[in-house]
Amino acid sequence: MHIPDGYLSPLTCIATYAAALPLWVIAFKKLKEQLDETTLPLIASLSALSFIIMMFNIPIPGGTSGHAVGAALIAILFGPWVAALCVSLVLLIQALIFGDGGMTTFAANALAMGFMASFCAHYVFSKMQTKAYAPFISGWVGIVTSSIVVAILLGIQPLIATAANGEPLYFPFGLALSLPAVVGSHMLFFGIVEGIFTGLAYRYIVKNRIYKGAEV
Amino acid sequence: MKKIYYLLAIVLVLAPLGLISEYPAWAEWENEYYQEALGFIPQGIENAFHVKALLPDYTLSGLNDVVAYYLSGLIGIALIFGIFYLLGKKFAR
Repeated sequence: MHIPDGYLSPLTCIATYAAALPLWVIAFKKLKEQLDETTLPLIASLSALSFIIMMFNIPIPGGTSGHAVGAALIAILFGPWVAALCVSLVLLIQALIFGDGGMTTFAANALAMGFMASFCAHYVFSKMQTKAYAPFISGWVGIVTSSIVVAILLGIQPLIATAANGEPLYFPFGLALSLPAVVGSHMLFFGIVEGIFTGLAYRYIVKNRIYKGAEV
Repeated sequence: MKKIYYLLAIVLVLAPLGLISEYPAWAEWENEYYQEALGFIPQGIENAFHVKALLPDYTLSGLNDVVAYYLSGLIGIALIFGIFYLLGKKFAR
């Protein structure tokens, strides 16, 4: 789901940065409020966990692959703002050091995998946290909603940016392809993986009393 | 608290499982893919600006893929903890 450089038109890149900047500022303030001796090592560990979990590329039928993100787990424990900022930091490192996801598309990726996933996952969890399967559903919803953002950003490119001869300038496939491919694969496969990861890790953290539990 | 590090360590040890997939992610193809699928490479994709990555795609030339994957994982973890350590020094109560 990491959109590379060159896939989104400059206008899309500027718009996504404009949308993400104020959100990052607010998120940074929220993170500062939450950082103390107990939370800091845990938030750092969960961010590192998100980084590593994204390295598990899972092949699926149809010749593509994907991975979990780990946003929901942080969102459940520390709220959506902190989670979105942690995932943004992970995405920044991936883009700069590993060329995974672009820099011009960093804001787009952060809006999708960071903010969208975290807020949706957190909302779902807060509505059903008494249920044992809440973390699973929360992880699934988070990654599926973020895949919707990615599919739309990619799918609108051939509509908004074409060369004089009609050839698409950036991502060439429209919504009719991007929505089923990106969202469908996340609903059927990677959402399940994100759900299982969120469920297992949340249980491990609560059972071992690593953290008091939901901060909702 | 320490137990969260066990979880992180277990996941890190298993990380090379992520190399099993030969498939690229949807919409993260090499440029040749577009040449084959469309007969051309969209200009914006062909001329895209790219960051010169230290370990492109979690690899390092001359280094075994699994070793490079572990190295990438460790570098990522170190950077994340380093940044949080600095944030903590500056902001934590």
